Amino acid sequence: MAASARLGRAFVSLAILGAAMPGAPGTVAGQGVRGWVGSTVQMVELRPIEQIAGGCVTDEPCYRALGEEQSLAATQDVSLTAWGFGLQGISGTVLLRNRARLGSDRIWPRTDDRFDAILAYAQLVRGGFTVRAGRQEVRSGLGFSSFDGGRLQWHGSSRAISVEAYGGRSLARGLREPLREALRGIESFVPEQGVLLFGGSARGRLRGLSVTARYQREILDDRSGLASERGSLDLSLLTARGRVLGELDYDFGAERPGKARLTWSNVFGDGRWLVEATALRYVPYFSLSTIWGFFEPVAYHGVEGRVAWSPSSVLGVWASGGWRKYGDTGTTAILRPLEDQGRRASVGARWSLRPDVTAGAGYDLEWGPGGFLSSFDASVRMAVSERLAVTGNVSSFQQIEQYRIGDGRGLGAGVSADAEFTDRITLGAGASLVRHDGGGEGPAGSPWNQTRAWMSARVLVGEDPGLANRRRR
Amino acid sequence: MTKRSRRFLFPAGVLLAMGAAVAGTRAEQVSPFPHEDHQGLFPVCTGCHEGVEGGVAETVYPEPASCRNCHDGIREETVTWEGASRAPSNVTFDHMVHAAELREAGDAPQSCESCHSSDPGTRMSVDASEELETCWGCHAHETGDHFAPAASCETCHVPLASTGFGLARIEALPQPASHGSELFLPEEHGPMAQGYADRCSTCHTADRCLVCHVDGTLVEITAIPAAPGTMVLPEREAEYPTPSSHVDDGWLNAHKLQVSVRECSTCHTRDDCRTCHVGIVPTAVEELPRRGEVSAPGVGLEARAPASHESLFFLDAHSALAAADGRSCAVCHVESTCIACHDGPSDGGYHPPSFVARHAADAFARSDECATCHSVEVFCRACHQDSGLGSRGRLGSGYHDAEPLWLLRHGQGARQSLESCASCHRQTDCVQCHGVLGAFSVSPHSRDFDAVAAWERSPRTCLACHVSNPVGGP
Repeated sequence: MAASARLGRAFVSLAILGAAMPGAPGTVAGQGVRGWVGSTVQMVELRPIEQIAGGCVTDEPCYRALGEEQSLAATQDVSLTAWGFGLQGISGTVLLRNRARLGSDRIWPRTDDRFDAILAYAQLVRGGFTVRAGRQEVRSGLGFSSFDGGRLQWHGSSRAISVEAYGGRSLARGLREPLREALRGIESFVPEQGVLLFGGSARGRLRGLSVTARYQREILDDRSGLASERGSLDLSLLTARGRVLGELDYDFGAERPGKARLTWSNVFGDGRWLVEATALRYVPYFSLSTIWGFFEPVAYHGVEGRVAWSPSSVLGVWASGGWRKYGDTGTTAILRPLEDQGRRASVGARWSLRPDVTAGAGYDLEWGPGGFLSSFDASVRMAVSERLAVTGNVSSFQQIEQYRIGDGRGLGAGVSADAEFTDRITLGAGASLVRHDGGGEGPAGSPWNQTRAWMSARVLVGEDPGLANRRRR
Repeated sequence: MTKRSRRFLFPAGVLLAMGAAVAGTRAEQVSPFPHEDHQGLFPVCTGCHEGVEGGVAETVYPEPASCRNCHDGIREETVTWEGASRAPSNVTFDHMVHAAELREAGDAPQSCESCHSSDPGTRMSVDASEELETCWGCHAHETGDHFAPAASCETCHVPLASTGFGLARIEALPQPASHGSELFLPEEHGPMAQGYADRCSTCHTADRCLVCHVDGTLVEITAIPAAPGTMVLPEREAEYPTPSSHVDDGWLNAHKLQVSVRECSTCHTRDDCRTCHVGIVPTAVEELPRRGEVSAPGVGLEARAPASHESLFFLDAHSALAAADGRSCAVCHVESTCIACHDGPSDGGYHPPSFVARHAADAFARSDECATCHSVEVFCRACHQDSGLGSRGRLGSGYHDAEPLWLLRHGQGARQSLESCASCHRQTDCVQCHGVLGAFSVSPHSRDFDAVAAWERSPRTCLACHVSNPVGGP
């Protein structure tokens, strides 16, 4: 199908959706439904590169740039939570997503997967018990875990203690499909078996302290192997003028500590100063069902600090810095070893020039193994009316992708608008243009312009469960 | 008159006074008898109302036929009067009862002129400006304030629902000073009504309460008679002033400890709570009536983010907060809230503009954990491969050309940033060299690698590189 026809169909769908939904909320709200329906169309211009057959000899270039192509994708989401099935405390939640690929044959990630039931579960709350069955997610210090199954939660009358247990068919991380289906044709070593997930957590609260301990295990459904076995401990301590956040996880499957982070933040001087300090450890997690699960990546340890200052209610500035150092990789260095330390720094400011105009700017610097980035962003957001806001932005960056194709510079500008068409319908659209100056290193580095655009529509059904832009009357 | 009888009778006077104080009282009487026109014919009140003085009900009013003695159509135009009927009134005063009480107390009968005007122009009317004094002439008023909070209105007044008042008279009812307080509606009127609903019912019907009150089963409300179907009430808009307790920043977090279905349902329907409570809905919320099931609309809340969300760095901190106390998040959010950002179609909201063009450094440094939202194997690799950046099954030379002899040095880079490798390479790319049948059979494991434990945990994965059990055995 021609790209223009597919694009046209997407916009027609948006128009029909926009026209049909305003009458729906009242009807549906009366039935006890809350949620939203949203459509988004995105376009990004890409300039693929390809390896030159016979290249890479002496001074010949290895890669050349192909022509610019547009990759377009449309998504339509329906998110609903409904009550009123004749039983007190019972509800149902779904988040359904439909995707369509438009434009050239360049793949927008995941558009070959036309439909996803991201969430689809029924829930019953009775006293301190919550029972949930269906497709759901557990969000925890171990990340997002999706599964088809059941979950039972209980909390005491004071809500100071709660426990939960869950289990079911595990879905691929970030994909919400069984692993073997999600990675079929993409990866070579995908287990034929399904993966089962079991887990549980206990949470305690005492005044400002909340602690959650979690254990989670994934096994192949024929019990022939372990996919993962991890645990986490997370705490949040609220103090009079700040808080302490702690995260720690352990990979029992790989028998090594995972990520850890301890952040202390505090306000000073009538709340005008905010100081934050973080010590962290990062190591990627891979399932034991992949060979990377046994490749033993090393962790980096680092510290970060941030200071924010708000001399008035209309002005805020901040600065941050961080440093990290990777552990010994145990590899033999040829010629010269790669860098094993990274640093980052940034400064920024936000200024409300008028109640309806807010400006912001920030500069970020990042350098370490793998890449260097120097970037500057500035934006001005103006509320043209109560229902329309327009934002303009500029950006400039220079990056060195150490392991890839060399230097690159970019200079971009964009504009976007958010409109509340009615109390229930919001529309958004934006476009940006980035001028890439690849530094002249071969054809792949020749200058080109990259455009990106998006538009979206969201219709609230019932009341907005996302709580966006809502204030109490 | 004895003191006892005065105490007993004083309320009657108050009733009379209050009733007469109501503006428009006479205006709504249907065809009031023109006493002043008949002054010559009936110079004394008892000429027509003999029974009042004597306490004989049958002769309190004249017979209708007696009018026709003159109004026969010849001497005077005919009139239609079918007999006396009680005019709309909110006082309990009854001439007969009053007279009987005087007799029982051994007091002399009161003359008509004690209360009624004898002036020619206003004959028989009760002078509103003097009525309190008139009543209090005999009946001591204990409070001295007609609208005193402790006043027993029901002593002299009947409930509004029983008065038969029309709209004008209801709207003209006086407002006690207490009602003008800013705190009257949000905080004071409830306690004042407790146990004294009859006082409220003097000027209100239950319908007035139900304009705002979601829970109509409160004792204070059910004790107030509802308006009869024929009574026309003033139009009222529901008002929900914010109680002072709700204004505090900490209220949002504290209110769960103070939840009382009885108190919350004063102003809130279940729908109000569900504005925020979308995820795990507390049982108390389920016990509240729904909007539409009750006459009051309820406050109509819009969701308000807790103070923690206003922090400059909340976006960075929220993951840790959610991990430590995820149930707090679930009070207001369902997972789709998270997914809207973590796996949502991008509208430029999370990443800065032109992030696609410059995300590499962020990805290497893992300043954000990409895998929280993106599948490295599918999301990252699909785009990289389609852009010519990813491996397509054969390891070509020259791509990592910024690092001479990259292949010999890639081990350190892989151990430092294995996720970046996986964003372009399949596992088979690695196996080409690292598998036992690969070109170099280079072990990717460290010196401390526990092969036995690895085999026990996932033998299938071991066999991706090893043709048999690498630690021996079957």
